Amino acid sequence: MKESTQTRLSRRTLVRAASAATAMLASPKLLRIAAAATPIKIGIPTVITGGYAVLGSHVMRTCKLVEKMMGAKGVLGRPIEFLYRDTQGNAADCVRKSQELVERDDCRLIAGVVVSSEARAIMPKLAEWKAFFISHGCGDGLLTTKEFLVPNFFRANTSAPMGARTLALYLKDAPEQNFIALGSDYAWGRSSVGAFEEQIKAVGKNLVDKVFTPVGNKDYSTYITKLIQSGAQGCYLALQGDEARSFFLQATQYELTKRLQLFTEIVAQADIRTFGKDAIGMLGSSRYAFTYDVPENKKFTQAFLAEYKEVPDWTDGEMYQALHILFAAIEKADSIEADKLVPAMENLEVSSVKGPILMRQCDHQGENQGFVVKVAASSKYPEPIPEIVKIYPREMITPDCLSTSYKTTG
Amino acid sequence: MNVAGFLAAQSLNALSQGAILFFIACGLTLIFGIMRIINFAHGGLFMLGAYVGYSTVAWTGSFWASLLFAPLVVGVVGGIFEKVLLARLYARQDSGAYLMVTFGLAIILAETIRLIWGPQPLSVPIPDRLRGIVLIGNQPFPIYRLFLIGMGSAAALLTWQFLERTRAGLLVRAVAQNAEMVHALGTDVSAVRTGVFALGCAMAALGGVLSAPLLTAFLGMGTNVIIDAFVIVIIGGMGSFLGSIIGSVLVAFVQVFGSYYFEDLALAMMYLLMLAILIVRPGGMLGKEE
Amino acid sequence: MRGRIVLAVIVALICATAPIMPAFTLTLVTEALIFGLFAMSLDLMVGYTRLYSFGHAAAYGLGAYSTALILLHFGLPLPIGILAGVAVSVVIAVPIAWVCTRSTGVSFAMLTLAFAQLGYAMLYRFKEFTGGSDGIGGIPRPAGPFGLDFFQGKVGYFYLVMFCLAASFVLCSVLVTSPFGAVLAGIRENEAKTRALGYNTRAYKIAVVVVAYGLGSLAGALYTPFAGFVAPELFFWLVSGRVLIMVVVGGAGTLIGPIIGGVFFVMLEHQLSEVTELWPLAFGAIFIAFVILAPEGIWGLLTRYLRTTQPEPRDAGQEASSAAS
Repeated sequence: MKESTQTRLSRRTLVRAASAATAMLASPKLLRIAAAATPIKIGIPTVITGGYAVLGSHVMRTCKLVEKMMGAKGVLGRPIEFLYRDTQGNAADCVRKSQELVERDDCRLIAGVVVSSEARAIMPKLAEWKAFFISHGCGDGLLTTKEFLVPNFFRANTSAPMGARTLALYLKDAPEQNFIALGSDYAWGRSSVGAFEEQIKAVGKNLVDKVFTPVGNKDYSTYITKLIQSGAQGCYLALQGDEARSFFLQATQYELTKRLQLFTEIVAQADIRTFGKDAIGMLGSSRYAFTYDVPENKKFTQAFLAEYKEVPDWTDGEMYQALHILFAAIEKADSIEADKLVPAMENLEVSSVKGPILMRQCDHQGENQGFVVKVAASSKYPEPIPEIVKIYPREMITPDCLSTSYKTTG
Repeated sequence: MNVAGFLAAQSLNALSQGAILFFIACGLTLIFGIMRIINFAHGGLFMLGAYVGYSTVAWTGSFWASLLFAPLVVGVVGGIFEKVLLARLYARQDSGAYLMVTFGLAIILAETIRLIWGPQPLSVPIPDRLRGIVLIGNQPFPIYRLFLIGMGSAAALLTWQFLERTRAGLLVRAVAQNAEMVHALGTDVSAVRTGVFALGCAMAALGGVLSAPLLTAFLGMGTNVIIDAFVIVIIGGMGSFLGSIIGSVLVAFVQVFGSYYFEDLALAMMYLLMLAILIVRPGGMLGKEE
Repeated sequence: MRGRIVLAVIVALICATAPIMPAFTLTLVTEALIFGLFAMSLDLMVGYTRLYSFGHAAAYGLGAYSTALILLHFGLPLPIGILAGVAVSVVIAVPIAWVCTRSTGVSFAMLTLAFAQLGYAMLYRFKEFTGGSDGIGGIPRPAGPFGLDFFQGKVGYFYLVMFCLAASFVLCSVLVTSPFGAVLAGIRENEAKTRALGYNTRAYKIAVVVVAYGLGSLAGALYTPFAGFVAPELFFWLVSGRVLIMVVVGGAGTLIGPIIGGVFFVMLEHQLSEVTELWPLAFGAIFIAFVILAPEGIWGLLTRYLRTTQPEPRDAGQEASSAAS
């Protein structure tokens, strides 16, 4: 007797439960809410430990700020979730971590890659992974040429040729005639120095020599002596992270700035801080200067200062821009799938912290303006700051399509 | 361009690099001479010295205090490590085991440093009295690097005197030659071993403190420097104190002038030199054959 | 014997479930097997002949780069490309072995290290071929012989790696139980005595080093199409240190132990590095603990445990077979 009641009851309960569940699941509103709850995952395989860890730390802090700023509303009604992975600046590790992100975490949006060699390593795999990769800071000019370019890759940032071009245009009217270049001996460094060589000659100046230092080099005494003895009046630098820091530290000890005017392809606030007073007077092409006075940048800089009590560095600005562009493309495509994002991002124009940016269709390079900055003392901030002395329009700065040269741009 | 000035400037660069290398190589070769161990942790101890130096300066504001304190602390750490871990392996007569235990220590040191001090590089300012440059010919050369050369030379001199002129030094040399005999004569050989190991660690740490104002204290300091140290000890001769001086200077000159003239080959040249010497004399130039 | 049966069952299980494993797990297992092979190759030198090498990364790097260049420039079928890479590496390994075996003990270790670092430096010197610090990317997995595309996929590649590991294991087992292996054991225990017995120990040492480098380069050659990318870090001494750890922690002188060590290490590294920052610290401590307290490694501990829990042997035949395992 009892058993049959139980059976009847349980069967009834089962049917009721099933119909209720089906009704719930079928309801479109609830379906949308269910989808909306799932965050959009963005993979950040970046340098958390290693020689370029400073840059990775900037990537992460900007991501955290963006996550906070976007809140629960996020993009397409879904919050953003960043998945941070440590590549140590190692290309092989970047491939491995990115593959994990795709295969284990089902995350197919990749950003925050710091080192150009890492980008070179993962780009060939994007199609196989069905993943989308936007660069915020990889400067190697070759990434947007036929040799390496793949459909699922976009570069939002200023590249090394663009930085060199900006500086060379400015130096056309500068008093220095003879230059020497010093760069880190890997993809980005060679691209930067090579581009500078091409551009400085195009404006009629002389490159006396170019020096490449091994990646991870610590003692720059030999090279500093070489710079001093070259007889050049100006020195072009393509160094980042720990290398830049060591170089500036030791250059101060040799009083290098009294003998040579320093120009850098990247002006990093972190390096200015290391260099201290000796940074004042340094000229460079800046990938992002927090002093750029446009509303979008003001908003970002204020939020950044409030959160971190520090002015944003170039990586912060470029990362913010890259994410901004990515989100705009996601909104436009109404999807996070790579094959829909690609056409959405092509020809996309946004008003960014660096001014108006156009994501070029022909080679997926973002057309950015060129900024020349001079490091100056500041009454407002506790450290010297980059003051913008010249801005070049993006058409003058961005190289020919699929190229690192400026034959048609003139 | 003033050729003499150029040569002088680059030679001084080389000597300043050689000085730092000497601190590490000397300790390494002393340890090898006594214990037949290649101490893989030496780079990590160098790095620990730099970080302890940084903290000392941060607490006391005195760079000179760090020059005393850091080697002391690291020497004690090394002594403890030797007493607690390495001493257990002597009975085993297994050179491989030593190599691996010190390698394990290197890993632990690197991680411990990262956990205590964090991943960001730490600046150690040059003390005011050592700032500025001198002019050699018309080439600028930092006073701090002259100081380094001075410290390196002083350390070499003191160690040489210690080994040659003092009783303790005599014991050290005796144990290096024939530990059993010394033990039979009544000396506590294990104490000598601990002492030498600690001394070697302290020297590496001193090198670390001295290089911090130049390079800042950063993770990974030890990794590359240990290879340079191996090359030096091998070229100069494993267990030979004089060899460590010659080796340091030689390697530093090869690096400085090599990277000036043959950028691409600079790295390779050092290892080629190491191989060439090992092929001709497996114990190194002045070393005792294995 | 029991240990081996357990192992065989595990291997069979993995092989059977490979087609249905999630992509990420399969990637992890494949990589673990490659490292297992790499570790086993070093065991021939370290465990069986007591030749401590701190430069085994050279074998790995040689195999990886040779295969990379061959696959990139000659487009040979995948298995042929891998074999060609190994062949090149073996040829280069002979002079290396000859030079290194001139010394013993620490000098030997330092020489192997010197060669590995030299290889590292050479990569930077000839950067037009090797890509320098950027490495070489986009390495293809060309279709196998006769248009066979089985190995191009994840599952197929896993089977290829498993096959290579199994074949290498068989080769090594035969080697170490043969008269050749007996001489190696003699060299390990007392080289002077072995030489006094009339054996040309130098020649045997050269041979074992070449074989070890050959199998190590096979691991590297398998890695290249797996990752699609090679970089100079493959030659760096930290890799040599790591594989030495795998051998010791796994159990030197057992062949199986280092394979387990390699697999164990890769799995742990992947899982733990997500969970805790303290992973490398724990790892260093574990390593030291094994060296000092348990030199027989994981496999040694396991077989000891399994042997002590084995039931009493019924007859002399069983006793003999259990003693032989």
